[in-house]
Amino acid sequence: MSLIGSVTKAIYPAQSEPVLDRDVDWAIVQKVQAGNVGAFDQLVQKYREPIFSIIYNMTSNREDASDLAQETFIKAFQAIARFKGKSSFFTWIYRIAINSTMTFLKKRSRRRYISYENIDQEVSNSEIFERLTAKNQTEKGALISELQEKLNDALQKLSIKHRTVVILHEIEGLEHTEIAEITKTSVGTVRSRLHYAKQQLQSNLKEYVG
Amino acid sequence: MASESNDSHKSIKVEDLLRLKRSERPTDTFWNEFDRELHQRMLQTLVKKDPWYRQLMRAFSGPRVQTLGVSCAALFVAMLLMRPATFERTSSQAEVAAVSASIASASAVVVNQLALSDLCASSRSDYQIEMISSEVASVELGFTRDFSLEGIQVASEDSDYSMNFGLNGATFGSTGVVSLAF
Repeated sequence: MSLIGSVTKAIYPAQSEPVLDRDVDWAIVQKVQAGNVGAFDQLVQKYREPIFSIIYNMTSNREDASDLAQETFIKAFQAIARFKGKSSFFTWIYRIAINSTMTFLKKRSRRRYISYENIDQEVSNSEIFERLTAKNQTEKGALISELQEKLNDALQKLSIKHRTVVILHEIEGLEHTEIAEITKTSVGTVRSRLHYAKQQLQSNLKEYVG
Repeated sequence: MASESNDSHKSIKVEDLLRLKRSERPTDTFWNEFDRELHQRMLQTLVKKDPWYRQLMRAFSGPRVQTLGVSCAALFVAMLLMRPATFERTSSQAEVAAVSASIASASAVVVNQLALSDLCASSRSDYQIEMISSEVASVELGFTRDFSLEGIQVASEDSDYSMNFGLNGATFGSTGVVSLAF
């Protein structure tokens, strides 16, 4: 395993955990459906970070992402009585989040780019940043801000559908089949969109790639 | 050592850059605020009044309203079913009127024939005849008879019989309603 892989794994370890926890989620959902409203907090605590991350990367705006993530949980809470467990809870709530965000983005007329200042220190010390700093001959702090802005900009240039697929696969670490289930498309469509999105990103980020 | 050298010279891919975005993580302060706002909004959702269309749907889901709705539907269906029957009755009335008119004309012919036969018979024997006939027919026949509007009695020399045309409430021709009594 490469150094980059190990670093990212350490920073963001819970990529595929929701899939394994399907039965645990279903047990919590059944508790909520039985009237134990407080049990819903367990689901919020478990999924708030990935849900927020997806929405944040789709919108590139912290406030919008916060609002939409809250809206996602409220919608899920309101509709949880109708959740029959045919799909996993994480697929269901991810779909709510993505659909809400897509609707929001279609309505939003102007783009707003606000990135986080607090990027994890472990990443800034990672090997990839060392190489980027050496390549661009830039100070590390300035490079981080610049790279955040460029990455957000490149993602926003993609269509919503391509952006969604690339975020779910490359940032959230979901499998093609899981993305196909969430987006209600075929695996082939997911792969196709992913391939096209990467080509676009490669073109938009060519000064860092290579 | 060799692998480290390879890693350092390895090209940076798009995937590597995108994975850096995983490190953009909010602080604990952000999450505390997030949880507080979410709980507040969820409570608001629980006590919030439903929109009008939901209230309307709920209003129409009650048993009393459902019973009323079913009753109205049944009434409507019954009206739809009765309407053709009304038409049929109207058409049957028209048929009756047509039959009556034909009977009326037929009876008028019979009466005329009776008057004619009576005229022939009167030359041979003395019969007591009471008949209704049209004035025109009487004039054409050239004699006067005692007409009764209540009925016609025809007597023959062989037997005693009578024909009685009930005219109560009956009109000829124009209204088309007639009743005959033998």
